[in-house]
Amino acid sequence: MRVNVTNLTFGYDYRTVLKDISFSLKSGDFLAIVGNNGSGKSTLIKCMLGINKIPNSKIFLDDIDITNYKNFRNIGYVPQKFDDFNYEFPITVNEILSASRYSKLSEDDVLLILDKIGILELQNENINNLSGGQLQRVFIARALMNKPKLLILDEPTVGVDKENVTAFYKAINELNQEGITVILITHNLREADCHFTHMISLHNGEGVFKEVVREDE
Amino acid sequence: MDILAVSDPFIKALIANDFLQRALFTGLLIGFVTPLIGSFVVIKRLSFIADTLSHFSLAGLSIGTYLITVLGFVWIADELYLAMIFSVIGAFIIEILRGYYQNYKEISMPIVMSMGTALSGLFISLSGGISLKLYNYLFGTILTVDDGFVRVITVVTVVVVLLLVIFYKQMVMISFDETYAKLLGIKVRRFQFMSTLILAVVVSISLATVGVLLVSSLMIIPVAGAMKVGKSFKNTVSIAILFSEISVVGGLWLSYELDFPTGATIVLCNVTILLSIGIIKYFINLYRLKSDKMTTT
Ligand SMILES: Nc1ncnc2c1ncn2[C@@H]1O[C@H](COP(=O)(O)OP(=O)(O)OP(=O)(O)O)[C@@H](O)[C@H]1O
Ligand SMILES: [Mg+2]
Repeated sequence: MRVNVTNLTFGYDYRTVLKDISFSLKSGDFLAIVGNNGSGKSTLIKCMLGINKIPNSKIFLDDIDITNYKNFRNIGYVPQKFDDFNYEFPITVNEILSASRYSKLSEDDVLLILDKIGILELQNENINNLSGGQLQRVFIARALMNKPKLLILDEPTVGVDKENVTAFYKAINELNQEGITVILITHNLREADCHFTHMISLHNGEGVFKEVVREDE
Repeated sequence: MDILAVSDPFIKALIANDFLQRALFTGLLIGFVTPLIGSFVVIKRLSFIADTLSHFSLAGLSIGTYLITVLGFVWIADELYLAMIFSVIGAFIIEILRGYYQNYKEISMPIVMSMGTALSGLFISLSGGISLKLYNYLFGTILTVDDGFVRVITVVTVVVVLLLVIFYKQMVMISFDETYAKLLGIKVRRFQFMSTLILAVVVSISLATVGVLLVSSLMIIPVAGAMKVGKSFKNTVSIAILFSEISVVGGLWLSYELDFPTGATIVLCNVTILLSIGIIKYFINLYRLKSDKMTTT
């Protein structure tokens, strides 16, 4: 998916969080967003998801203005916090995943994804019995349920153990190679052993966007 | 019921009396549909909505009584129909207020509840005090439902179950994760509206079984018990329905044998199941703890 952000300014109430952000991505690009706590990283992606309401002609997804965009199912999203999720009521991993699935993903494809993310054996577990890291992986799998063309990951591996972090980024790289655009927020560029093509660093609301030229290429 | 020789066993009486059959049939339908809706209500942490709507329906009942007995509008036939309309109106008001007080959504409940209670007070007084019929609606009148109302309840149950089957995925997603539901393109507000409307109608038909004061318990208590033992979402909802139906049959039977009020007995059966689960779970945990200690030492 192509992403175009032009002169985006956004704030909550009176405080401006993002000032005049612009960047653009082609299909298959991989953007890393870095910046200190509170610099507006999550705010920026919530603008791209239609969660934060923004004016016309600021963000385009595949050349469609986000204010007119309908197919948010094309975007897989792993939020930073899962405060929005209701935990206490019993529901299994499989039940969540199938309620989130609107694509023609076959059962086998789903099993493949679960295996890649390392939660194959957790399928029928009640989510209340999962650890934080396991839950995080369930939400990563959920983001992949609708064959996304854009993946937006907000610090997806916080609380996930080293082995699974490695497996996760391997899976993300594979998906990226298949042409899926990926946007990743991270505090640890080294841990995220990914083939970034672009990077934006946010500071005091301003963003510096640059292309990443890999030395080994 | 005095018309019956209480010495007859319940089964025999059930076969002989169609009012008991109607009561059982009505009870089973309501016992099925209330925990079904109740599950979604509990997940959304809206347990107070049912109570609010039932109090608002009371306004419908008292206005109905006033219109029928004082003004002689006999064509209304049954106050319950007005209760249904009021429940829906109450649901609309809640929705409007929830949009209005975005960050204080629960404020809509006490507002609507007090509106309902105040209107009830006014019209009960205008009708010359609380009538026996109205009093019965406070605690339920399942033994006196007529054929017309049985038909209404049947239609409502079928429609509600169909809607929930068709929109199962959407309802689950909205209940568990509204933000993600929006992202999946689900029209959250439209569904929220639909569920509130369903809730309103179910509340008003349930008035017939257990009455204004106990309606919310039918929705919440079986679910509260099932939540503690359910292995998955579907499993939990099925268990809640099972608990609820056991309480309906048990409540009807006990109330017949002991000459207790039916609605209250059904609710007490629900409470008994809930308490038993709590106690059984407590002892299972205690036992597990002990056997864990045994293996570690
Ligand atoms: N819903 C909101 N309402 C008001 N202010 C908000 C809201 N969300 C975030 N903010 C404010 O906007 C600023 C940027 O927050 P944001 O969550 O985008 O930061 P972040 O870069 O993701 O930080 P972190 O690294 O801690 O995740 C913060 O000062 C925060 O307090
Ligand atoms: Mg953040």
